[in-house]
Amino acid sequence: MTDDSIYGHMKDEGVSRRDFLKMCGLAVGAMGMTSMPPLEASGLPATLNHVEKKSIDHVAKAMETQPRLPVIWLEFQDCTGCSEALTRANAPTLGSLVLDTLTIEHHEALSAAAGFQIEEAKQQAMEKYAGQYVLVVEGSIPTGEHAAYCAIGGRTAEVILKEAAEKAAAIIAIGNCSSFGGLPKASPNPTTAASVTDLITDKPVVNIPGCPPIPEAFVAVITHFALFGVLPELDKLNRPMAFYGKTVHDRCLRRPFYEAGKFALTFDDEGAREGWCLYKLGCKGPTTYNACASIRWDSGLSFPVQSNHPCLGCSEPDFWDGGGFYQGQSAPLQKPSMTTAGVAGAAGLAIGAGMAATAKAKKENKK
Amino acid sequence: MNPQAMLAFARGPFFNVAITFFIAGMLYRIANVIFLGWSKDLSKPRGSKGLGVVKSFLRGGLILPFFPREKKAFVNNPITYLAGGLFHLSLFIVVILGAAHMLAWKSLLGFGWWTLPLPIVDFMAAVGIIAMVMLLINRLNHPVLKRLSGAAEFFNWFLVFVPMVTGYMMTHHMFLPYENLFALHMVSINILLIWIPLSRISHFVFYFFSRTIHGVEWGKRGTMP
Amino acid sequence: MTDKTMDVFIKKTGGWAASQLEACTRCGICAEACPYYLSTGNPDYTPIWKVELLSRAYQQRYTLVGKVKTALGFNKAISDEDVRDWSLIDFNACSMCGKCAAVCPMGIEINKLIGTVRAGVTAAGYTPKGLMDKAKAQDEFGSPNGDGPEAYADWFASAEKEVGIKVPVDVKGADVLVVFTSLEITGKKSNLYSLAQVLEAGGVSWTTSLEARDAFNMGTIVGNGKLQKKLLGRIYDAAKNLGVKKILVTECGHGFVALRDNMPNIFGEALPFEVTHIAEFLPKLIDDGKIKVDASKYDDGKTYTFHDSCKIQRAGGIMDEPRTALKLLVGDNSFKELASNREEGLCCGGGGGLRAIPEAFDNRMAAFKLKLDEVEEVDADVVVSTCNNCQLQLKEGLGFYNVEDVEVKGLIEMVADALVLN
Repeated sequence: MTDDSIYGHMKDEGVSRRDFLKMCGLAVGAMGMTSMPPLEASGLPATLNHVEKKSIDHVAKAMETQPRLPVIWLEFQDCTGCSEALTRANAPTLGSLVLDTLTIEHHEALSAAAGFQIEEAKQQAMEKYAGQYVLVVEGSIPTGEHAAYCAIGGRTAEVILKEAAEKAAAIIAIGNCSSFGGLPKASPNPTTAASVTDLITDKPVVNIPGCPPIPEAFVAVITHFALFGVLPELDKLNRPMAFYGKTVHDRCLRRPFYEAGKFALTFDDEGAREGWCLYKLGCKGPTTYNACASIRWDSGLSFPVQSNHPCLGCSEPDFWDGGGFYQGQSAPLQKPSMTTAGVAGAAGLAIGAGMAATAKAKKENKK
Repeated sequence: MNPQAMLAFARGPFFNVAITFFIAGMLYRIANVIFLGWSKDLSKPRGSKGLGVVKSFLRGGLILPFFPREKKAFVNNPITYLAGGLFHLSLFIVVILGAAHMLAWKSLLGFGWWTLPLPIVDFMAAVGIIAMVMLLINRLNHPVLKRLSGAAEFFNWFLVFVPMVTGYMMTHHMFLPYENLFALHMVSINILLIWIPLSRISHFVFYFFSRTIHGVEWGKRGTMP
Repeated sequence: MTDKTMDVFIKKTGGWAASQLEACTRCGICAEACPYYLSTGNPDYTPIWKVELLSRAYQQRYTLVGKVKTALGFNKAISDEDVRDWSLIDFNACSMCGKCAAVCPMGIEINKLIGTVRAGVTAAGYTPKGLMDKAKAQDEFGSPNGDGPEAYADWFASAEKEVGIKVPVDVKGADVLVVFTSLEITGKKSNLYSLAQVLEAGGVSWTTSLEARDAFNMGTIVGNGKLQKKLLGRIYDAAKNLGVKKILVTECGHGFVALRDNMPNIFGEALPFEVTHIAEFLPKLIDDGKIKVDASKYDDGKTYTFHDSCKIQRAGGIMDEPRTALKLLVGDNSFKELASNREEGLCCGGGGGLRAIPEAFDNRMAAFKLKLDEVEEVDADVVVSTCNNCQLQLKEGLGFYNVEDVEVKGLIEMVADALVLN
């Protein structure tokens, strides 16, 4: 066994076999794995085929054979909230799992280096790991005549992204901004911000939307790729099915109150105190695909609805423009203009009355 | 157009166009009837016209669909009575007392109201859908309905049926992702809103005219409307 | 010819008709009330389908959608053939009984709209010949069977010989003007004698008129407004000239409704006199104690039932009074209601001028069968009616189906027979 492997690295760090296997179990759980990816497609050694078809053995075998995965992390029009959320993932084993599995070659916020030095380091890493590294993108990308709104070292975000994407093995768009455009893209979209998938079409892209996304989702995807060399199963919006396959509403702990018709109507009424459903306070849970309600945040401590706030729908495209946060999810996006409706109504009345009057005149002529 | 964009379009500009057209169209329809002129009845009433109107609405609105006054008429065409009555009941319960629909009304009207628990609404929606299917089968089979039905009647049926089905599928996450169904639901409702003033579905307005007339006529002669 | 039909439709379609045409949902429930549909199963006889001609004309001429459809070529203009087809269903298979309006969930007054279609058909000249001949005869002689004033004078005079009462004719200042139906002079002359006895016994100040002799109104039946006005005008003028307080209509249904409900609107003023029918007048005489009846007269073990006539009961609203009188005469136990009664009463099958249309005979008898079934269901021996036309139809039907043990009687004769003279 070479020391290039993930397990080799961990052994160097003093991780026991027992702890290693525990970690494998954690990785299985984190990936939400219920079935194995097709091995032929993954390029993994055929020996893996012979191991027992148990997820944990599968993962252990992969960790013993796969090298650590290089990662290049780019930030554009973002708030670093996604990175924050990930590094603050309150599970030490999870954090170390990430660090053990990956070598983060470039991350502006985490690097000690800055300026030309870090740019140079990035170029070197891109050369060294060409075709192997995973590109993680945080933040949306301004385009067109507004491209200059985000530039690093005199080069626009668009150029930087395309350059880095060219040699990447896969791209992970973390957060709503890089997945769908997020806040920068909200109407009126002053920077003509675009998402990664808007700009990159020739590479596999995984979207992990959220504001911020659930750290476990990112960990699972990157671990999956590190171990098996393929991306997990994705939905139509390129989101990993294991985390974005069900709506918040589906798994919500307040769902029974929805079914029973018990709703909080204001934030300080009896219903809110009793922990009733927040649907009527504008909860977007029914249209929001995310694992908040099952995985929750801060090691399963809580999630917005549990903390008495309706879901904003942050893992969905254009959630900033999806109607007021406290307006019912089923309501029309804008109220029809009263003036237009009034004018149209008056026109309708006038046409009707006019036609009727003509008919009436005709009728009286016949008498 | 992806489902998200379609949903945003259907919930936003398309809905606004549809509801504006609906308001204008219905006002046109009402004006077109009202301003045709009404002649005054000079004959001496034998009974109270006002009481007749009250009875007419009590009978027509509450009792008639389920307790038909004419037993034989019910026996000969029970589906129209039962399915027709259940469909309308389902419609009112789902569209007015369903939480999701109430929120839509609230955003338009500015005030909300109490809603029914989902299982009840859901059950009534299913009842409504089954009733609609029964009504279609009846319309295709009953000799009188075959005589009376043209393409417009079936088109009306279809346009009313689609929002009901998409709405039901939506709450149950059937076949398609939620937002796709939501988008279909909204699009079908918008089309329905535009179609109503152009079709006989507008009977919900003229119902009040005809039942009032009926109450006046029958109340005037002192009979039970 | 359709131009004339359209003219009539345009003239008669105001908000009243339009709002009801718009209200129809095509549910088809009206068919289940129609005796002609129920007995023949012909979907063309669906009441609202009989209005289709008017509905189509309305859609095409009065609505935006209809106009757009016409412009795009989707609408077929109403042809002569259509009018002829609708003549067959509106005249030959409709007695304008109005039961459809009772069951309509939307409360559409379908029978009145059918009246408009009839008027349109008549304007185009497609009214069934038998009926049109009667209308022409009434236009000419005053009565559809050709009985002129002389015939009536003879009839009035004959009362003296029959019951010893001199019938007052054209007496100014009388309270009540009695108006007959021409069916009585042709088929039931005794009604005059019976009624004269009752009125005399009740001390009613009454008169007949040679001018206003016949309440029968072919104009109403075929939908000819001019003829209707002319015929009503005779009675209207006579009643005014004689200064009566009341017009009492005998066993005539449509004539009664035309006088009471249509006349004021046709002449544009509230009537200076009241219009009443023997179905409410005779019971009132009994009720007020003006006349006394001997209830034991009908203590014959027979079962009596009451036939609700479309015009007098459903359209006239006179439902309680004849029943009270009948129950008083025959006793509560001998009286049985038919399954369909009062507002839901089933038509005898011969109203609306059908008896004058030979082609409608089959429909008429088929519809009567429904009535017969109801009568047999309650095992009635005597069917009492306040309408002469109904009585004739009932008798004809009973004969057609060879039912011998059922008798048909009018309320007038029943009251007169039981009269106790002081």
